[in-house]
Amino acid sequence: MALPSKSGLPISRQTLIQLIVYGLVCLAIFIFPFILDNDFLLNRYARYLVLAMVAMALSLSWGYAGILNLGQAMAFGLGSYCMAMALKLRTVPVHTGAGGLPDFMVWNNVESLPWFWVPFYNMPFAIIAGIGVPVAVSFLLGWFMFKGRITGVYVAIITLAALVVANLLIIDAQSVTGGFNGITDLAQLELFGFTFDAYSKSTYFLVAGCLTVSLFVALMVTKSKAGLVLQAVRDHEDRVRFFGYDVASFKVLAFCVSAGIAGLAGMLYTVVLEFASPTFLDVSLSLSIVIWVAVGGRQSLLGAALGAILVAGTQSSLQENEFFLDTWMLIMGALFVLVVLFLPNGLASLVDIIGRALKRGRGPAQRSTSSPAQTSEPAEANVSKQGAE
Amino acid sequence: MSGHLQITDLTVDFGGFTAVKDLGLTINKGELRCLIGPNGAGKTTTLDLICGKTKPTRGSIKYDGKELASLEEYKIARAGVGRKFQIPSVFKQLTVYENLEVANCKNTGVFANLFRPGHSSHRDGLEKLAEFVGLADQLDLPAAYLSHGQTQWLEIALLLARDSELILLDEPTAGMTAQETHKTAEICNRLKGKHTIVVVEHDMGFVREICDVISVMHQGQLLAEGTADEISADPQVREVYLGSMGIGDA
Ligand SMILES: Nc1ncnc2c1ncn2[C@@H]1O[C@H](COP(=O)(O)OP(=O)(O)OP(=O)(O)O)[C@@H](O)[C@H]1O
Ligand SMILES: [Mg+2]
Repeated sequence: MALPSKSGLPISRQTLIQLIVYGLVCLAIFIFPFILDNDFLLNRYARYLVLAMVAMALSLSWGYAGILNLGQAMAFGLGSYCMAMALKLRTVPVHTGAGGLPDFMVWNNVESLPWFWVPFYNMPFAIIAGIGVPVAVSFLLGWFMFKGRITGVYVAIITLAALVVANLLIIDAQSVTGGFNGITDLAQLELFGFTFDAYSKSTYFLVAGCLTVSLFVALMVTKSKAGLVLQAVRDHEDRVRFFGYDVASFKVLAFCVSAGIAGLAGMLYTVVLEFASPTFLDVSLSLSIVIWVAVGGRQSLLGAALGAILVAGTQSSLQENEFFLDTWMLIMGALFVLVVLFLPNGLASLVDIIGRALKRGRGPAQRSTSSPAQTSEPAEANVSKQGAE
Repeated sequence: MSGHLQITDLTVDFGGFTAVKDLGLTINKGELRCLIGPNGAGKTTTLDLICGKTKPTRGSIKYDGKELASLEEYKIARAGVGRKFQIPSVFKQLTVYENLEVANCKNTGVFANLFRPGHSSHRDGLEKLAEFVGLADQLDLPAAYLSHGQTQWLEIALLLARDSELILLDEPTAGMTAQETHKTAEICNRLKGKHTIVVVEHDMGFVREICDVISVMHQGQLLAEGTADEISADPQVREVYLGSMGIGDA
């Protein structure tokens, strides 16, 4: 079997470096709680890690496949509601007692549990639904868009519209979704004998584990042949089609994998924040995700994830500071504009820029050592020729 | 006798304007056919029709005994038809090697490709292809950094990586220097016999270098067909080209 790299490894050197960097970052995320022993802060950082997951998912569809999904929060929100429904059914309602109707349904004069709530008594079902529902919705939406050859800004508009519709539907169906208030007063998630208290290391580790797994799954997708085809689609969709690929199905794949990761992130968000709310399907959250990804670097999964942590982290610390209370929006906006103007591929492209600068710095030195050898060859050739004469 | 590519009564109508009208072409296996004609004659549209970019209003396109006219683009490509576009079309952000890797794919299904590494074990074969079009030293260079001529050659190499048996080249030498044009002619000549090729060109010098039979189109119709000498002697062809490019002098 021919190997693609000269080093003899079945992966290229660049991929190897990438794997190491990704691994180190994930390791740092896992070590973090041992340095910072503060459950309140850990909860906050767990929240950032969840946001990093959604951002990373968007980078997969936007940065790699060129699908600008402005409705990324839809998959996120659907996931969070699935988890909230399951956890809600595990709380003992004050009015109706164990096994009774959730409190907000009682207030809305609902008589019996709606049919689609019933399977959520089963936690494995809820977890599968938290990923499956966003994937199914995205599959339908993606199929309709990409089979219909809808591209570019129209995809952005349609996904945004879908998000608004989903948001309105949830608010409107108050009696079964909690409407504006969302679903609150939730039980703690229990899985495999662990209880995931939002303010504890266990939840942080759950989130960190999910982030790590989904980061590497997404990385594998981008490193697969399908990932290469997706990048080709981003560059020149028609050209790919005329090589015999059914472009639509590749785009649907990227769209759905992205939605699945976002759905998982949504479920974790509910666990970390202990409620679900229509603000999770907000246009402003969805656009924030786009900003995080743009700042971090849409063509880098890790860049997008770190961008989310950086921007969301800065945002909430600015919001806390009285001095910045009114101006944080302005600061975030300025940061966004600056990055987009000067680093179109986000902060992640700094790595490439620095790498290239280092190489250039080292370049001349290498050349000066090798040049004598090069010049001596023709000289020798001349000598031997003269000798022959 | 029917050819490898058999086009009959091909017609396409763009809202009242008939760009290609009752076109018939028979191209044999391994033949290199040149398609010439003044601007707007319908040459590009003809290639669009063959590769499925445009759907014909009526008529048939039979390739290897298979009717292409009603198939979707990607299915036509899978049948072995490769198209080089008039505007060079490669994947600019990917390296030359990655470009070839995308094109080199027997199984184009989405799930088959999800569980296959992006950098496969065909590197040797793809390197040979890059060498064939003179891009061996640019393998790891993003395609955006290639010169215009190199981009055109890369696109031809992509069609070969795809293993297209029928190759459609739309003005492969447009914008090339004389030297580059000569090299392109060499590439075409080496492909002759192994692939069935249709070349749309304006450059008569190039056409003479590579072609046996030339088909001349005018206003969507086939005007004449024959060797370079027959064509340049044809009074009808001379009339069509009068003042435009002086085909007789080329
Ligand atoms: N999609 C379309 N809609 C309407 N008219 C079209 C369309 N595509 C091509 N045409 C027209 O069909 C005619 C033939 O165009 P075509 O591009 O095939 O010419 P050509 O022979 O390739 O010319 P050139 O040598 O300039 O490339 C032109 O008049 C063009 O304007
Ligand atoms: Mg043309």
